Amino acid sequence: MAGLKDRGGAVSRRALLRGGAGLAIGPLLIPALGGSMPAAAAGRKVVIGAFADGGLTPFKEKIIPLAKAEGFDVEFLEDEYGVTLEKWFADAQSGAGQYDLFLLDDPWVPQFGAANVLQDLGADGIDATDKDWIGSMLEMGFWPPRQGPRVKGFEAAAPTLICVPFVGDLQTLTYRSDVYAGGAPQSWDEVIARGKEGVAAGKIKYPVVFRGVSGNPIVTSWYPIFLSFGGSFFDDKWNVTFNSEAGKASADFFVGAMKQNAPPGVVEFDSDQEGASILGGEAGAIVQYSGNAVKADDPQQSKMVGKLDFGVVPKKASAIAQMGIFIAGVPKSAPNKANAVAFLKWFTSPQVQAKLAQAGSIPVKRSAFGVPDPGNRLIPVALKQLDAGALPRPRTPDWAKVEELLGIELNKALQAGSGGGAALDAAAVQVKAYLTEAGYYK
Amino acid sequence: MSAIGLGKGRARLQGAGLDLALPYLLLAPSVLVVMGVLVYPLWDGLRASARAYRYGAVIGEIGFQNYLALWSDAQFRNALWVTARFVALSVAIETVLGLALALFCLREFRGVRLLRTVLIVPMVITPVVVAIVFRLIYAGDVGMLTAISQALGGGQVHILGDPVRAFIGIVALDVWEWTPLMFLILLAGLQTLPVEPFEAARVDGAGAWRSFVDHTLPMLRPVLAVAIVLRAIDAFGTFDQVFVLTRGGPGEATRLISLYGYDAAFKFQQTGYAAALFVTVGLVVLAFALAAVRLLRRVGPA
Repeated sequence: MAGLKDRGGAVSRRALLRGGAGLAIGPLLIPALGGSMPAAAAGRKVVIGAFADGGLTPFKEKIIPLAKAEGFDVEFLEDEYGVTLEKWFADAQSGAGQYDLFLLDDPWVPQFGAANVLQDLGADGIDATDKDWIGSMLEMGFWPPRQGPRVKGFEAAAPTLICVPFVGDLQTLTYRSDVYAGGAPQSWDEVIARGKEGVAAGKIKYPVVFRGVSGNPIVTSWYPIFLSFGGSFFDDKWNVTFNSEAGKASADFFVGAMKQNAPPGVVEFDSDQEGASILGGEAGAIVQYSGNAVKADDPQQSKMVGKLDFGVVPKKASAIAQMGIFIAGVPKSAPNKANAVAFLKWFTSPQVQAKLAQAGSIPVKRSAFGVPDPGNRLIPVALKQLDAGALPRPRTPDWAKVEELLGIELNKALQAGSGGGAALDAAAVQVKAYLTEAGYYK
Repeated sequence: MSAIGLGKGRARLQGAGLDLALPYLLLAPSVLVVMGVLVYPLWDGLRASARAYRYGAVIGEIGFQNYLALWSDAQFRNALWVTARFVALSVAIETVLGLALALFCLREFRGVRLLRTVLIVPMVITPVVVAIVFRLIYAGDVGMLTAISQALGGGQVHILGDPVRAFIGIVALDVWEWTPLMFLILLAGLQTLPVEPFEAARVDGAGAWRSFVDHTLPMLRPVLAVAIVLRAIDAFGTFDQVFVLTRGGPGEATRLISLYGYDAAFKFQQTGYAAALFVTVGLVVLAFALAAVRLLRRVGPA
């Protein structure tokens, strides 16, 4: 520091250290002395963790500004789907306290519930008796579940509301209105048969498209077919039942007829490729979640604006879709717990849910489905699908493993283009072994 | 204090054993850091591998059960086999290509410096970015390979939907990214070789191939061995590229042991099992490295 001394000792080393210390300590002292930091001035802080999904776009674009006007300082942290579960679970379990609110995928609720890392929102004042909730969505927030089988260790536990439905979502059918001119195809056979006519007429290249990638993607695509064929995953004692006759028929149909009528590379298709296929005009029909379905009307993402319609999923024995909602939980380690609960109460009020529906998302309160001007034409169809039938995935903390084992076998059968039933048998053996090891049958 | 006083004080301290203790005192901070960041996590991992976890919490001590369970797990055995094939194939191709490039760039010619720089570019790109680029290349519907094929009158090229092609696809990615490392190490090795044996061989009328087989390869053997061991250890831990590109699919065709362990630990919450898996893999890699080092000592420089 010779230069400083050369200027007549204007700045001594001691003064420099003193100044540096002041700069370092100053910001720490301001809040303690009653001063306010910019973030605190903005309102009640709520840090929301979410995975990237088109289903949350209306919330981000329309509801967060409303929340800010309501006095909430919302920080929205988005991650890629594949990494969120482990990231948030580690956060909640270690008590790191990086989030006030997780927007979970509903199959994750049992995992968080079994680990006892989420707040009891019923005790915090969220009213689970409100008849306006979509009942099937609300049930997903309880751990242990109020209905259906329970895993070992939780047989006698009192169900607790650890999550509340946040944004509704479920699978519906998106189809080409020029190919299926009389309206949504009613059955899977009709999807194929009329789709072939569309191919012959040169309107489309393939009747259907779906996701074939191993694991969650392929299981999600097969699930509505499985349910519609009358399949069920487990009995009330967690015995594997997905390889029943109905289940096997659905898998054979999926890896056989569906593959033969889908684009050639469907085995490697994930949501981006299946989306490109339907929005680009190649495929005639697809069963998908709302985040992708609403892109049909967006001219920046779809070449088929005005040519895609929505309907209830096709039927075999029934027309049942998979329901997979965004569901909110407050970690016990949340630094702004009270703000998070207040935010949830505000967000799930009928008024804000109505605004959510107007913004284009599927609400979680039945009254909001009745808004005169829903943000997109999928919302009334979603209500129709809810009434026709929509089921969540089994409520077990081990669903991720079950889905993985099943997805690998289904993917192998899809590569071969046959053997769907045998794939379910193979997966059943592995799932049973895993659940036995995990103590399900003791 | 006078100089005499200082001398007496030092002598007293030396008498108290300071000189003996000083090296240990100086080493102590480093030892503490190593204990904290290396030994403790290892110990904790070993401890976790002997425990059963459920829903993120310890439910009991189970000794070696996790280790025994590994070998009856078909998915683990498959992942180990896929990894072994991946390492063997990738490292073999990278070694051959890296050596060929190093021999080519050993000569001085116009533009060789630029070429050497360009050749190491793939190595400095973030692996995730490389994987994303390759995903775009391999995409069956709009990928670069499909575009080229269609421009030549062919059809779509599907790499990631077929087990064999997907496996070759991840090997190709690894070769593209890590051949430069082999090139760099081998080039450095080649540049240190003495010129006399080559000049003598030339005087004796040996051709380029004879000279390569009789002199270059034997003299380069220690460097080659080090490069192969380093690259193999690194390849054994490959994760990010495959995670982005295939997530282990189709089926389990590209599921490396690192991916399987990651899923077990974080996706399925099998903490103890995953710890046992990584300890086992660590031991396998250690055994491989020790065997390679032993081999290296045995062959020595020619």
